[in-house]
Amino acid sequence: MSYYFAILSPLDTPLFEHEFGTSKSGGDGQPRFTDQARHLNQFILHSSLDIVEELQWTQPGLYLKVIDKFFQNYISAFVTASNVKFLLLHQPTTSVPTTTTTGGGGGANGGVVNTAQAAASSRVNSTSVGANPTSPQTEEAIKNFMNEVYENYVKAVMSPFYKAPNMEIRSPVFRQRVAAAGRKYL
Amino acid sequence: MSQPRPPNAPSASGNPSAPPQKEPSSSHTTGLRYPSNGKTIYHRHLSRSKTAELSQASFAYLFSEMVTYAQRRVTGIQDLEKRLNTQGHPLGLKLLDLLLIREPPRSQSRPLNIITLLHFIKINLWQHLFGRQADRLEKSSDPDAPDEYMIIDNEPLVNAYVSVPKEMSQLNCAAFVAGIIEGVCDGAVFPARVTAHSVGSKEEGEMWPGKTVFLVKFQPEVLEREALIGGKG
Amino acid sequence: MCVSLIQPPIHQSHRHTKRLSRTVFALIIINKAGGLIYNRTFHEGGLNKISTNELLVLAGTFHGVHAITARLNPIPTPGANRNSASSAGTMMRPEPPSGLEVLESENFRLQCFTTLTGIKFLLFTDTTQTNVDLTMRRVYEMYTDYVMKNPFYQLEMPVRCDMFDRKLLSYIREINNR
Repeated sequence: MSYYFAILSPLDTPLFEHEFGTSKSGGDGQPRFTDQARHLNQFILHSSLDIVEELQWTQPGLYLKVIDKFFQNYISAFVTASNVKFLLLHQPTTSVPTTTTTGGGGGANGGVVNTAQAAASSRVNSTSVGANPTSPQTEEAIKNFMNEVYENYVKAVMSPFYKAPNMEIRSPVFRQRVAAAGRKYL
Repeated sequence: MSQPRPPNAPSASGNPSAPPQKEPSSSHTTGLRYPSNGKTIYHRHLSRSKTAELSQASFAYLFSEMVTYAQRRVTGIQDLEKRLNTQGHPLGLKLLDLLLIREPPRSQSRPLNIITLLHFIKINLWQHLFGRQADRLEKSSDPDAPDEYMIIDNEPLVNAYVSVPKEMSQLNCAAFVAGIIEGVCDGAVFPARVTAHSVGSKEEGEMWPGKTVFLVKFQPEVLEREALIGGKG
Repeated sequence: MCVSLIQPPIHQSHRHTKRLSRTVFALIIINKAGGLIYNRTFHEGGLNKISTNELLVLAGTFHGVHAITARLNPIPTPGANRNSASSAGTMMRPEPPSGLEVLESENFRLQCFTTLTGIKFLLFTDTTQTNVDLTMRRVYEMYTDYVMKNPFYQLEMPVRCDMFDRKLLSYIREINNR
């Protein structure tokens, strides 16, 4: 599972970007995007902005859940009061063919303990946060992540040197905080 | 506007071999300095205990200096009011997010229509800034101006010690507060023009000589959207 | 010197009623250069009316007299000073001489209060007026609130602040009607 997170201003300019991988179920927290995907991610994320702008007027909540899907790339959105958008692109790992997004239905064969290690790890993945991007657990995890980032974003905005809402966030402490939230929830 | 732009991202996200996070020790590369105890703004709590109050006297002196500062090289009253408005505007933008996050998680919601937004201003914003709610909220009775709303404060705190000289009688220093309101409206995507007007001398002037009306005039697109979404939320 | 500028009330009967009512007659504020920056009469007939020019002269004259009285201040005996210093344990700075504080005539009482920045508040009251210190303190408080915190007031210049006028008048009216 790899994540690409971006904060976009009300004028759709990127204020902050961060890539990370899952830290759940033994993940090393490193993103597994190819160089090509890395460029594509930005396009995918920005192209979902139209949907955000429509959805944000239909519900007063901040967290809009998964709003868009481009092949295996799922986009979750969060809109702040001041119309700053937090977008998270999550991509279930495709490098391991045994992992399926609809997994979990297979269930564990309680009796068979000598299954191959690889299969066992794929089964662990299937119940983890990232495996099913639209499951309630994943939604909740992303919501917690977004809320924590929001809190830190507001702190960044509170800085007297920050000109809301159109200034890039450069603070390394902010980046640390986002990374920590990623490790904690995703 | 959703056309992707080349990100001006710091190197950490662009370079796969870079460490996933930057340590504060890398401050020499960013040019940032940290307090000696290592506590940054991110280590502070966003919520504040209810009793935390500020001195009105120190605010009065600060505001007095702000007005004096704004007065330098102005061309007229309107220009001065505009400068005060500009001073307040970023405050509104920032307070919008802060006040929302201080709400209990269940009632955290973005204002989706004009009435919710104005209630947020009248109740939450006023409570935070002045320790009480605004006195009244009114919609313009003029059928030609459906985009005008009024927030009424009988004695604005910023004007508590301000006596405007006679030759500047048009001026109301609460233009600063109008700027804050405008910041909130703009931030919440309800672009508006907010102005402060003294009305104390006309009606019930004896009771509230400093009575001020904040006239909120929304841009046409706000009303257009309001009609489209049918005032939901 | 000062007394001669303000004449006692002319009508004897009028004066008697004044005695009973205990009135604050007027307030004058003098800046540190001796210029008159504020004057307000609260009670007609208490004092003789004088022209603005005369008021300006009065302010300047009082300023001078005040400076002289401050210089005339007797020097405290060195022995007493040393005693107080040793008892406090630290070097005590003697209070600066305050100069003229109260001037009383048959018909009115003038109380002067000098702020640390050299502004003088002169309060003209009835001779039997009590709690003038308190009144003075309150007037000073209003000055710091509604004059000093007003962005349009320039230091040392005449005080033209509606809010100050309004609060001062309502406060003195309250005292005079008591």
